[in-house]
Amino acid sequence: MDRNQLMKWIKAPTKMAHKYSLNAVYFCTGCGVIEVPPTITSRWDAERFGVVPTATARQANLFLITGYVSVKTLRAIIRTYEQMPEPKYTVGFGSCTINGGMYWDSYNTINQLDKYIPIDGYIAGCMPRPEAIFVAVTHLWTLIDKDMADGYKRYRKNYAAYRANQEMILGEMEWPPIFQTEVATAITEREG
Amino acid sequence: MTNPLGTRLDATFKGVELRSGVDGRLAVVVPREAIVPVLTFLKEDGYDYLQLISCVDWIDRGEFELVYLLSFYTEDEVGRDGGKQEVLLKATVPREQASAPTATGVFAIAEPHEREIHELYGIHFEGHPRLTPLFLDRDYEIPPFRKDFDTKQYVADVFDRVPPIDEEG
Repeated sequence: MDRNQLMKWIKAPTKMAHKYSLNAVYFCTGCGVIEVPPTITSRWDAERFGVVPTATARQANLFLITGYVSVKTLRAIIRTYEQMPEPKYTVGFGSCTINGGMYWDSYNTINQLDKYIPIDGYIAGCMPRPEAIFVAVTHLWTLIDKDMADGYKRYRKNYAAYRANQEMILGEMEWPPIFQTEVATAITEREG
Repeated sequence: MTNPLGTRLDATFKGVELRSGVDGRLAVVVPREAIVPVLTFLKEDGYDYLQLISCVDWIDRGEFELVYLLSFYTEDEVGRDGGKQEVLLKATVPREQASAPTATGVFAIAEPHEREIHELYGIHFEGHPRLTPLFLDRDYEIPPFRKDFDTKQYVADVFDRVPPIDEEG
């Protein structure tokens, strides 16, 4: 353990625990997912950074969206994201999640992912190297330290707007809103 | 007309036009009504593998071109013709009345190919068992692979219309 960080562990142990146990949903979308298997296995070994893939969204706290998002995939992404327990962090991987990338004028690919779910950080590039994932992870540590990785709080706070945007593209959604407005406000007031 | 298969096709069917393929394939252009008979003929002749069905939108000519690429699993059977070419079967369909006979009766694998073409080009396949959407999740006024489908306009109307989230509010 890094002795320089001892005070951080004493002051905010949960925050430090969140930082060093990032369980990523093994959710594959787009072409970026081709970078993920070498990243989590022996060549780059993401476990050095405490990142491990998790089979189910209900046990994960890091959502790496690896590439272009079609309308059908957006539905699955929202479902997966809403199933993850808080605190949860999302990272958009590749330029397609930022502005549509090379699919900016596609008839079936959404352009800006952060209109539909909150994103804590982006990795630019097409494709980003596996090393870029580690840069993103270390950057995410800094954000967690400074309480800036607050995507899940923003989602709760602005849930009505997010849900409206989702319904604009997906139409009728199969599941009811996960937050009632009053409940979301109450949780936000209690937990900040 | 040196190709033996071409000679037999020409003798059997009316209105069959042969073009020598640039890449060693034999291109056969048939009228729309002759798609299924010619496919049946070719299947019995040893072309037992329908690799793909493709579609081209020739908007200036006002017609769609369906392309069937036929190949074979066993080389011996085709070898009796002396040639081991793959066959491209082409047929045109008018844009206004876009419908074609289904090939599912001859090749069962035609089912997903025709569903895809139906979804992306809006061509109706007569007698297809289930012409339901295959990939797309949304409804489009014009099928998206037609040349008169304006993708930029569509993106501006649909995806760019979604407002960004006002995080400060």
